[in-house]
Amino acid sequence: MSNPQHHPRYETLADFAAGRLDEARAVVIAAHAEVCEQCARDIDALEAIGGGVLANAEPAAMSADALEKTLAMTGAQIMPAQADERPRPASALDAYLGGRSIDALNWKWVAPGVHQHVMKAQGYRDGVLRLVKFAPGKGVPVHTHKGEELTLLMRGAYRDALGEWRAGDIADLDHEHTHEPIAFGDEPCVCLIATSAPLEFKTVLGKVLQPFVEL
Amino acid sequence: MAGGEKKAKAGENGRAMEDLLAAVAETGDRRAFAELFAYFAPRVKGVLMKGGASDTDADDLAQEVMVKVFKKAKLYDVSKASAATWIFAIARNARIDAIRRAAKPDLDPDEPMLVPEEAPRADVVCELKQRDARIREAVTRLPAEQREAMMLHFYADEPHSAIAERLGLPLGTVKSRLRLAIEKVRKELDFDDE
Repeated sequence: MSNPQHHPRYETLADFAAGRLDEARAVVIAAHAEVCEQCARDIDALEAIGGGVLANAEPAAMSADALEKTLAMTGAQIMPAQADERPRPASALDAYLGGRSIDALNWKWVAPGVHQHVMKAQGYRDGVLRLVKFAPGKGVPVHTHKGEELTLLMRGAYRDALGEWRAGDIADLDHEHTHEPIAFGDEPCVCLIATSAPLEFKTVLGKVLQPFVEL
Repeated sequence: MAGGEKKAKAGENGRAMEDLLAAVAETGDRRAFAELFAYFAPRVKGVLMKGGASDTDADDLAQEVMVKVFKKAKLYDVSKASAATWIFAIARNARIDAIRRAAKPDLDPDEPMLVPEEAPRADVVCELKQRDARIREAVTRLPAEQREAMMLHFYADEPHSAIAERLGLPLGTVKSRLRLAIEKVRKELDFDDE
């Protein structure tokens, strides 16, 4: 895959690195960082800034017996080195898919040429994570965003007023953007979408569709 | 234990903390851990209190973070992050875990998803220490209010809007201070990009 051309806003990466994103958006960013070296490095640097802030922090005296209590809590137990070695971020999404491939999901019809698979993302803070599949030529009616939405292109391609989007690309949109993505190419376009609040549709069709699409 | 003497100096040369972590990983060395604790626990507590935690809560949380530092010491990879960066990630993930536990009490705390990785992804080993030293340096040079905004961004357990309220500032001010702070520190990094 060529390098992604569309990236999250730096602000979003800064929120991710600080652990401030809701779960759904955190999964999308982690999945993008897997295929985007540039963003992985940005996240890495942001984490290093978190470390730099800690190294510079003004110390606050710990309670007198804090060290003893801490040592007691460890039970002198050290985890083996491989204990935490888990497969990496697509991993985050894999856990949601329960080991199934995208093709094997129980896709629900929402509109002609549009299917979706909704996943619970309730670990912390509200957010919804879903995969949406558009046949070429299909898309989402014009809409804007009340909350913040992150879309990661998993397969295929779509275009909207902002440009063309392909596998690995992220659309990091907020209420300032209105868009109408349409899938193109030979294969269906599959997007991983995280939303932290309902979308707001601008057309009558969209309003009718909204209850079905649940976007 | 007599290990509580302040050895903050060891932290200033950047190298020693990483060695101490290695010593804990290899033999569960309690003296090495005591030194790590003397340096990091009060700093973790300090940032948590700046973020609004009470003295007692911050003390408890700092202990919890240090328990994880001890237990996970073998997972630390010096080629990927400085000790401070790794401990930042541990503290961050502990916070995320706490929020998730509150939302879903039955959740397996070791469930793999959604906690960002503790070891960052950098593979540029030799540049790492220099880079982290430059970052630390750049953070000290920030104007106080930008440094505060940055600290709260990384360590306060509340949304930016609540941080702004607590500081008695408009949200936009907090966000622009944070943006300026990150931009300044980031300039230090762009140096060895390409």
